[in-house]
Amino acid sequence: MSSGSDVTSKSTMVRAIMAKDLKEFSRDRFYVFMSILGLVFYVLIFWLLPSEVDETITVGVVGSEQFDFTEVSGRAESEGLAIVEYETTDELKAAVEEGDTVVVGMAFPTDLSNPTIEVYIGPGVPPSLETAMTGIASEIAYAAAGVPPPVSGFATEEIILGTDRAGSQVSLQEKFKPMLAFMVLIVEVLALAGLVASEIQNRTVKAITVTPAKVSDFLTAKALFGTSLAFVQVVILLVAVRGLDNGPLIMLTAVFLGSVLATGFGLLAGSIGKDFMSVIFWSMLIFIPLLIPAMALLFPGEAATWITFMPSYPLAQVLIDVSAYGAGWSDVAPLLGLLALWGAAALGMGWLILRKRVQTL
Amino acid sequence: MADPAQESADFVSTRHAATIFSRDVKLSPRSPLILYALLIPFLLTVLVQGVFGDLFAPQPRLIIVDDGHSQVSVDAENLEGIAVTFMDDRSDMLDAVESNDADAGLYLPVGFDDAVIAGEQPPLEFYIGGESLASNRIILGVTTLELVRGIEGGEPPVEVEVVQVGEVGTDLDLRMLPMLLMMAVAVAAAFIPAASIVQEKEDRTLSALLVSPASMADVIGAKGAFGVLLALFTGFFTLILNDALLGKAGVHLIILLVAALMMVEFGLLLGMFARDSATMFAAWKGGAILLFFPTVFYIWPNLPQWIAKLGPTYYFIDPAFRVIAEGADLSDVAGTLAIGAVIILALVPVVVLAARRLERTLASG
Repeated sequence: MSSGSDVTSKSTMVRAIMAKDLKEFSRDRFYVFMSILGLVFYVLIFWLLPSEVDETITVGVVGSEQFDFTEVSGRAESEGLAIVEYETTDELKAAVEEGDTVVVGMAFPTDLSNPTIEVYIGPGVPPSLETAMTGIASEIAYAAAGVPPPVSGFATEEIILGTDRAGSQVSLQEKFKPMLAFMVLIVEVLALAGLVASEIQNRTVKAITVTPAKVSDFLTAKALFGTSLAFVQVVILLVAVRGLDNGPLIMLTAVFLGSVLATGFGLLAGSIGKDFMSVIFWSMLIFIPLLIPAMALLFPGEAATWITFMPSYPLAQVLIDVSAYGAGWSDVAPLLGLLALWGAAALGMGWLILRKRVQTL
Repeated sequence: MADPAQESADFVSTRHAATIFSRDVKLSPRSPLILYALLIPFLLTVLVQGVFGDLFAPQPRLIIVDDGHSQVSVDAENLEGIAVTFMDDRSDMLDAVESNDADAGLYLPVGFDDAVIAGEQPPLEFYIGGESLASNRIILGVTTLELVRGIEGGEPPVEVEVVQVGEVGTDLDLRMLPMLLMMAVAVAAAFIPAASIVQEKEDRTLSALLVSPASMADVIGAKGAFGVLLALFTGFFTLILNDALLGKAGVHLIILLVAALMMVEFGLLLGMFARDSATMFAAWKGGAILLFFPTVFYIWPNLPQWIAKLGPTYYFIDPAFRVIAEGADLSDVAGTLAIGAVIILALVPVVVLAARRLERTLASG
């Protein structure tokens, strides 16, 4: 009987502290406005990023009727090489200079007694493409002259390792989703750390603990408040960037565990920082390394081994695996388990250090 | 009769300002924010040069395993715009290509060159990563074929002439430099003075200072001078790190001075108006976009450039970019810089009014 009423009383205390925190946050209209503006800004960044991967080299050509491009590339036009025909060399040059339709061009000789192929390179064309274009021009000429390639099997026996994603690459927009989710988590946890630091600095935490509330109620309230605040904002972001289209339950689970992780570090930063500015500094010091896994996902290739040991790695990997590659529960279960462990460790560490700080006030 | 508070806010006593300035300098090694301002140029340079350059303009990546000391490997080392890596083990190469650590892999067995020269058309072990872009597959495939043609010798049946059309584009590293420079100057000249004023307000040391012979003008003057000097240092450091001085240190210093003065005014205003650190940080988070947006137009030059001119910071960012990217002289950018100077002068009365307001607020408790 008494244990039941203890639980009720404890939950009332925790709810009261959370309500106080929420009121404190919402009272600062400017802060609320800026948080909303930040969220809008992240969503805007997402929709401004390229939603498709341009895998095609579009080449403008003049006088190519007698030459066959597929002889060289071994591919159909839809697989990386697109040809746009122009009537005259001047038209082609103008198009290459403008750079909207084509950035490279080739003018084939009409008079075969003076066999020169002119390759036009537009502004900003990378050197690798220039090299490839001169190579293509040469190979077209070799093919037209009936000279066989120096090796066999080239372009006809293509060996592809791994899943062939040509034509269905993951866009930069998609790759940015974990990064944006992390940014929201960081900002919200900065807010939590600031709140904790100000309670320590102003000793309101001491005032709270002379009421029937205990230090554990204070810590529980902060952990729940921080997790809820971060979770709600990341979910809003994910809805706005269509991040819940694939595996919504897995995504929500991952984001919840990520919010717990971030709250743990937020409590830690809030305990260490003496004032708002030092809280920002400590938060940044903790969170910038945590951004690394999300940044690593922006680049091709497997993450380095040391990155996989970072607490934020499983969160970033689950978000990208589910939203971009359609992974299911069984695919990401080990990562979710790892994330839960990291979250528990971070929360435990933040809890212990904050409790020690409060008790020594 | 003039209001004494007003007078004290308007005139800077060099002696008092110098005392406050030297106190801020002495305390700066203990401030994590100063450390942050000093680290920013270095960290951003590493990030931009090492990370974002590859993100927006990724190079095709080729791994070569050469068991036969082929000429292909020698020539591949000189390829421009292609990231070539050499490995010793064929299975390591296959793993790397499969896990998308490279776009393609090439295995050259013993005797490959001899077979090509003898016209035997040996098979080419060329592996493509499934996640590589179709365009990179073509680039690497054709380039590899051309390298093998190099062993074969002989003249191609046609001459290939490369014609550069239009102006040569500016490298991404260079296009991102305005943002880097802006970040270095903004943190040092705007964020640090703003944070310093807010911190003094929160700690009530500002009120304590004002009961001393020092005036609000002295405090603001000292904070501003500290921000300007720090910004000149971080800005110059950023240019050195990015190899962008190009023997025009004098021109850069003038541009940086305009940048630092303008940003310090914004920082002082922010510090004087923000009631606490949280408000200041929130304002910085949202308001910085208004200062930073002109830099975006250098990263994406196809955007309508007139929009950049709406930002006050354009009037020092553009001169800096033109000096760095186009080798412009002071006379070429003087007009734009003059507009920047006008903005600085126009902001002076606003700063003075804000200082008077703050002094009144503090005096009234």
